[in-house]
Amino acid sequence: MGVLDYIWLGVLAVFQGPEAFTVFGISVSITVMMVLSGFLFGILVGATPGLAGPFAMAISLPILISIFGYSPDALLPVMGFLIGIMKGATIGGAVPAILFNTPGTPDAFMTTLDGYPMAQWGQAKKALRIAHFSSASGDTFSDIVLFVCAPFLAILVEAYLDLPEKTGLLILSLSFIAAVIGGSPGKGLISIGLGLLAVYVGTGEDFYPRLTMGADKLSRGFPITTAVLGVLIIGAVFKGLEETWQESRKGKRSIVVPETGDQKLRWPDIKRLLPHISRSALIGTGIGALPGVGSTLAATLGYSTARARYAKSKDADAAAFGEGAPEGIAATEAANSAVSGANLIPVLSLGIPGNAAAVFLILATETIGGFNPGPSVFRFSPDVINPELVVAFGLFTCMTIANLFNWTIGGVFMRSMGFMIRIPKQLLLPSVLLLTLTAIYVQETRIEAIWFALGFGVLGYFMRVLAISPLPFVIAFILGKSLEETARQAYSATGNDPFFLFNNPIALAFILMSVAVIFFTGRKAKKAAP
Amino acid sequence: MLAPSRSNLYIGLLCIVFAALLIFIWIPLDTDSGIVEKVRGRFAIGDALAPTIAACFILVGGGLLVAFERNGPNQSSLRRSHVLFMGKLFAVTVLSLLVMRFAGPLCAEIANLFRTDPIEYRLLRATAGWKHIGFSLGGILMVAGIIAIVERGFSLRGLLTAVLAVLAMIAMFDLPFEDLLLPPNGDV
Repeated sequence: MGVLDYIWLGVLAVFQGPEAFTVFGISVSITVMMVLSGFLFGILVGATPGLAGPFAMAISLPILISIFGYSPDALLPVMGFLIGIMKGATIGGAVPAILFNTPGTPDAFMTTLDGYPMAQWGQAKKALRIAHFSSASGDTFSDIVLFVCAPFLAILVEAYLDLPEKTGLLILSLSFIAAVIGGSPGKGLISIGLGLLAVYVGTGEDFYPRLTMGADKLSRGFPITTAVLGVLIIGAVFKGLEETWQESRKGKRSIVVPETGDQKLRWPDIKRLLPHISRSALIGTGIGALPGVGSTLAATLGYSTARARYAKSKDADAAAFGEGAPEGIAATEAANSAVSGANLIPVLSLGIPGNAAAVFLILATETIGGFNPGPSVFRFSPDVINPELVVAFGLFTCMTIANLFNWTIGGVFMRSMGFMIRIPKQLLLPSVLLLTLTAIYVQETRIEAIWFALGFGVLGYFMRVLAISPLPFVIAFILGKSLEETARQAYSATGNDPFFLFNNPIALAFILMSVAVIFFTGRKAKKAAP
Repeated sequence: MLAPSRSNLYIGLLCIVFAALLIFIWIPLDTDSGIVEKVRGRFAIGDALAPTIAACFILVGGGLLVAFERNGPNQSSLRRSHVLFMGKLFAVTVLSLLVMRFAGPLCAEIANLFRTDPIEYRLLRATAGWKHIGFSLGGILMVAGIIAIVERGFSLRGLLTAVLAVLAMIAMFDLPFEDLLLPPNGDV
């Protein structure tokens, strides 16, 4: 089995999977339909202020699992749907940002800076077209980089990293995530520590389930869905409700500005925007490939770099950045969309999730089984088919299909989503809370799961209030067991060497890098203090 | 002018104390094996190591907040309004979950007052109508209650939203799937 054979098998797994229906005698597979449904649902959710892709992924997962079951055949339809949501939500977030100055997702905040002024001049449709074109370009570029880099990186990791090095790499990843997410390495480390502590409750190798204080209900540990959905979704719902409660209910009405001028995106426009899109796509992809560095930073960097370039070359009568420059929308949207594909590089090649969407993809694979993201996925075994590799190429095919939908129908669907802003948050968020708790119960079928999720939700709320990012918590919860298992195996494999992390040059380098990244970001934070 | 928040310092100190409690009290008392244990003459990693590492992350994080970030700009602080609001949300949610859990069995008990052959909720949890009592009442109370907190008053719009949300969820989870159990029917 060569590389091309595996790619072909992956493509066939998507197109020749179970049939949804036939059109003129041509069979349309369920996976393709799931990608389409997820993509449209993602745009809808992204266009709704207060919701984001992870909400939709969290709510969909138990329903998808009920439909498709736990067999490996379920992987591609379920993951296809989630990938569709991930991509759809990215472009959907630009709709309320441009039309109503309200970013649908946090990444779309920078889009408001130029998108809303353009809408105020009667150029809303053009601004939406620019956002869609730039977003689809950045996303496609980033996916291509993912397809090329993930297998390559995985092969390198599998060839050169043994158990002690893998333990060191996990520690480095956690330290890096702690240092870069949320801008406070101290709070990042606390978040990581709490996530690790939570995953170690009730687990371990001894007969007595550790850290349970004798409570029987804790002896099976916290189910992953309760921790992930609790901290990420329920915590966000509580915070969103509190912000809505705090906001004065002035009933701010948006003024509909009539359209003026050409609303189409013409070739000269594209030619003018392309340098900004390309630069931002590169920035977004580079940032997305690092675990934990989110699309908000990519959007900010893409925007500020483009602003510096634009200031030197702009015509005297052209709008400046922040006053309705199309280049500002293009730079932001290309950068934040380029993160989504690249963020899957550490997921697929190392098994390390880098953002909330990746967390839900890992959650799906853990729930369904049969696919363990990590370097072993890309084992090109020539004699026996590696089913995980077929699934990996199937996922790449799903991403390509989602991109095709994005280029063809994404723009039209996105531009019709302006009405979602009218749904009041105070009505939507309590329903999302009930939906999330129901989804958790349906999956776990025990009332403790709801109590655990509620507890994690309260923790997530207070973490947000205190500006402690909940994402490191969730990533640590996911990686905690694998960190402990790898360390145990490394300890045994090195003949019970307690210094296995320090006697191996690569592992030692990873540990030193972990210390350095925390120390230097900590010092940087100190310098920033007045 | 308001005094700058010192929340980083307090969070840092709290985390240091919490980590110390973990390392010196909770973990040693609540795990069977130590950091390293001897099994059949060979040393192996014990169950206490991983939680101790978790505690070390918290300790170092707290230390960084105290040493490097205690004077950081724009520190967000926990205000009384946050705790009050969360308290209200939590109370409504807990009350709704209790209603969800016990409304079905309670209705069965009330029905028994008027019946000669007693019924048991556990045996009715797959029967349409009965199985929806707890979820519907608890769900409506949760959604309408939270809307009332956020809107600072009860509204018919909130109640209608809650009813529609519950009906939508029953349609989403219960009608198409025979094997899915709405809360609390897996526990009764």
